[in-house]
Amino acid sequence: GYREDEGLYLESDADEQLLIYLPFTQVVKLHSIVVKGPEEEGPKTVKLFSNREHMGFSNVNDFPPSDTAVLTPDNLKGKPVVLKFVKFQNVRSLTIFIEDNQSDSEVTKVNKIALFGTTVETTDMKGLKKIEDNH
Amino acid sequence: MVLEATLICIDNSEWMRNGDYAPSRFQAQTEAANLICGAKTQLNPENTVGVMTMAGKGVRVLVTPTSDLGKILACMHGLEIGGELNLAAGIQVAQLALKHRQNKKQQQRIIVFVGSPIKHEKKVLEMIGRKLKKNSVALDIVNFGEDDEGNTEKLEALLAAVNNNDSSHLVHVPPGPNALSDVLLSTPIFTGDGEGGSGFAAAAAAAAASGASGYEFGVDPNLDPELALALRVSMEEERARQEAAAKRAAEEAAKKEKQGEQQSSSQDVTMTDQDSVPASEADDKKKTTKHDEGLLQEAIAMSSTPSYPSGRDTNMSEVAEDDPELALALQLSMQDGTKDAPSHSDMSQLLADQAFVSSILASLPGVDPEDPSVKDVLTSMQNQSEPQEKKDEDKASKEEEEK
Repeated sequence: GYREDEGLYLESDADEQLLIYLPFTQVVKLHSIVVKGPEEEGPKTVKLFSNREHMGFSNVNDFPPSDTAVLTPDNLKGKPVVLKFVKFQNVRSLTIFIEDNQSDSEVTKVNKIALFGTTVETTDMKGLKKIEDNH
Repeated sequence: MVLEATLICIDNSEWMRNGDYAPSRFQAQTEAANLICGAKTQLNPENTVGVMTMAGKGVRVLVTPTSDLGKILACMHGLEIGGELNLAAGIQVAQLALKHRQNKKQQQRIIVFVGSPIKHEKKVLEMIGRKLKKNSVALDIVNFGEDDEGNTEKLEALLAAVNNNDSSHLVHVPPGPNALSDVLLSTPIFTGDGEGGSGFAAAAAAAAASGASGYEFGVDPNLDPELALALRVSMEEERARQEAAAKRAAEEAAKKEKQGEQQSSSQDVTMTDQDSVPASEADDKKKTTKHDEGLLQEAIAMSSTPSYPSGRDTNMSEVAEDDPELALALQLSMQDGTKDAPSHSDMSQLLADQAFVSSILASLPGVDPEDPSVKDVLTSMQNQSEPQEKKDEDKASKEEEEK
């Protein structure tokens, strides 16, 4: 389908930096990430921030990222980047900051972002049953 | 209904003392700023507006973005004019103030009033514009006062750098009789980027433009719907009534023409036609509202006809159509009536004139008027005329009974 379509991509606007915010519907643990893009304009330096809402370009440098990844052309073809698992044990939201791209062009293009991990054990609401009242 | 945090940047440099915008550039600016505050707050109650100055001693934020109009209006007072405009610093401080807004869901907007020469380079402004765009801050620029080409060029470059999907605007206001605020009312700065406009702006614009309200009947349906509805209904009723009156007048004119024809015809024709005339006139009476004039016309018509008594009795003839015997009786009585009338009248006239009778008798040979027998005959003849009168009366009463 269109998930693998190379013609569809995300493009940066004002300059080469991109800031992507991903809130999850439940708590997750992240293991690795895949970022696919074109060889030239694909991202190079990627910083990940966990559990930080309302980030802007002005405060990306205010605190250290949970992890940083420098992507190689292999990564851009689909090779996953393994993350520091200990840092992503209790993730509710993820902010991806793409600082620059492979060819230092004005525009950065991204084709696909994939996250690999597990969910955290939480209460299964389906398992909840009403206690039978026999009085 | 866009949720927005706006920061208004006022130019309070020395150039604002100029009076080319009545009453002074600075006053025109504050008025426009007040209008903007009102419009933004009305667009969405959660909108916030802040105010800052770009000249004077330095760039200074007077009010951080708030929805409290009173605070904003109060801070506009007591502002001092002086110094030079620092556009770059002004915009950057505005951006910072917006970044620290309380409600992060609000979109960021800066409205800048530029009324003095800009000392920065175009490149600097373009960089600032790009930064604003990256942080998705919209920018509205009001260029007034300076007809300097340099200013316009720089501001246009700034707008081009900032503009993202037409969310930013640049408005030039030339000096003239129109107040700065009035000109701004019609611009996208007030009309909310063509989203459908704010009611406030539309109403204010209408009021400013027309002098009175631009609404029908001079009443705003938003403010007073019942009054507006009542006015509209009464206007329609009046119109309907006038139409009905006009229609009646037209009918009246047509009917008068018809009656005129009837008058001329009734004088010429026989009884049967005259039967129909009162009947038709009676019909017309039902139609017309001008009852008195119709009756008058009828009276004139009837009085001008020769056989008026027969006209009076036409009702009888209509009734008698059903009953042939009655009809015959009526006919006979009418004939008798007509016959008796002239003879009766002749006789009575003659007999009444006793002097005449006595003179005739005297002329007759062998008749002495003093003779008692002659007198008897005379009285009996007079009596005969009375019984005849009585007979006629009896016949007339019989006729009435038969009716």
